[in-house]
Amino acid sequence: MSIRAAPPYSAAVALCAWLVMLFVLLPVAFIALYAFNETAYLALPPRGLTLHWFANFFANTRFRDALMSSLVIAFAVTPAALLVALPAAIALVRYRFPGRELVNVALMSPLVVPGVVVGISFLSLAAALGLGLGTSTLIVAMTCLAFPFALRALVANLHGLDPALEDAARNLGATRLRAFALVTLPQLKPGVLAGGIFVFVEAIDNFSTAVFLTNSRTTTLPVEAFSYIRDFDDPTVAAMAVLLMAFSAVLVLAIDRLVGLDRLLDLH
Amino acid sequence: MSADERRPWLLLLPALLTLLVFAVAFAMFVSVSLRTQVAGSAVFAGAATFGNYRAALASPAVQDAAWNTVRLAGEMTLLTALLGYPLAYVVARSPSPLFRRGVLFGLVLTLLSGGVTRAYAWLVLLGNRGLVNQALAAIGLPTVRLVHNETGVVIGVVHFLLPFFVLTLLAALRGIPVALEDAARNLGASRWRAFVHVFLPLSIPGLIAAASLSFAGALSAFLFPELLGGGRVRMAANLIYERIVTDYNLPRVAAMAALFLVLALAALAMLAILQRALARRFAPAAEAA
Repeated sequence: MSIRAAPPYSAAVALCAWLVMLFVLLPVAFIALYAFNETAYLALPPRGLTLHWFANFFANTRFRDALMSSLVIAFAVTPAALLVALPAAIALVRYRFPGRELVNVALMSPLVVPGVVVGISFLSLAAALGLGLGTSTLIVAMTCLAFPFALRALVANLHGLDPALEDAARNLGATRLRAFALVTLPQLKPGVLAGGIFVFVEAIDNFSTAVFLTNSRTTTLPVEAFSYIRDFDDPTVAAMAVLLMAFSAVLVLAIDRLVGLDRLLDLH
Repeated sequence: MSADERRPWLLLLPALLTLLVFAVAFAMFVSVSLRTQVAGSAVFAGAATFGNYRAALASPAVQDAAWNTVRLAGEMTLLTALLGYPLAYVVARSPSPLFRRGVLFGLVLTLLSGGVTRAYAWLVLLGNRGLVNQALAAIGLPTVRLVHNETGVVIGVVHFLLPFFVLTLLAALRGIPVALEDAARNLGASRWRAFVHVFLPLSIPGLIAAASLSFAGALSAFLFPELLGGGRVRMAANLIYERIVTDYNLPRVAAMAALFLVLALAALAMLAILQRALARRFAPAAEAA
């Protein structure tokens, strides 16, 4: 293997990549600045810094309620989706049975259905069954919508594991369940973490399905932010965005610490 | 069925039940689309009819939205690929691990920061008094209209799709051995020739996979056209939402949504066929690697 000091691309190509990266990071950097901006209009240079918009966010009862429902939904949907996806991933990777390919495609199908169509479907279901809208309808819809994210990550993770290890544990006298819990489950940490994060973020951030299933009493954070943006022109939503991004940053650092960002690529 | 044959199905049971809920919601939605809404009420009545579908297909608003959706999704996917490919390529071939980690961190952070955050950021950045126009005014240039039109929507959606595109493509590019380009260079090929004749063909299957994912995302774009389009850019999802808000006629809207789903699935099926054909075309080269 040769040692190559120079990369195989020209400086112009590298510059293109840097510019694209700048474009990707620009809104994120901007929103962080805007959230601390003293005035409702951003002038450059900023006139002063304030935490006023954060206080505004937490003082707004609609935002507080929406934050609560979003957290309830995300914390209900994430374990539900993982519990549904984990046994399915094991069946798909470790067993050969007739119809496996078809089941695989069917289980992944929610990913290609536009969110608006999912919203209309569950709205029709709720209307037909005479159910109200609100948190429980949202939890059911989000679980159906998001479990393929967990399934995909877990299937990718399981494919990379050696089943011989579990067989060895069983040959040494462990029960099937014990062998799984002590040998395979610890190796599934990257998949559970990556899948769980994708599901959690989808449950918190989903707008296109949630907007059809919320009502005047129960809204979620994105739906409430959307209606606030339409009515007011100030950085309160930027403050909300900074809180969400700080949370995301903690998640990214956690992934990096626990499984390495590189591995996430294979699980995405 | 023996215990061993039953086991995978038992493991699949929770997932299949979840999918069943989804399927029942779907069946409800299709059956609602065949009914008629009693005027002024939330009651569906009458025999099953394709009337809602006929009305939707004949409506110029629906036809416009369908065409807009496919056209804009195509433009967005093309732009995403043009911007994303060089970035993924440089990350895959960069000699600096620090650069690679930095880009990965930035992409994942942006991906996780959510749609509403980013749509809002673009709304403020591109607005008439936004940062871009302030900068233009400061250097004495006329301001430009960047939101409440297609430009803003395209910028927003391309930005939304880029992390998905780059991460998916990168996973594929990492599998292409550097040794192949090195061999081409050692045999006298220029950097450009080594890229065009060796790297690019091997990256086509990954490129198509990443582009398909972006196209699916662009087709179902809703929040970005809603916020950045200011009611002037109507993609399929926006038309459906607008109709449900203005006149709560669920059967009619359900028929539109069903047609939208058929459109989206047909477009994605075509891409899948293309992907398979290209994978076969470029597979021998990849296997030789």
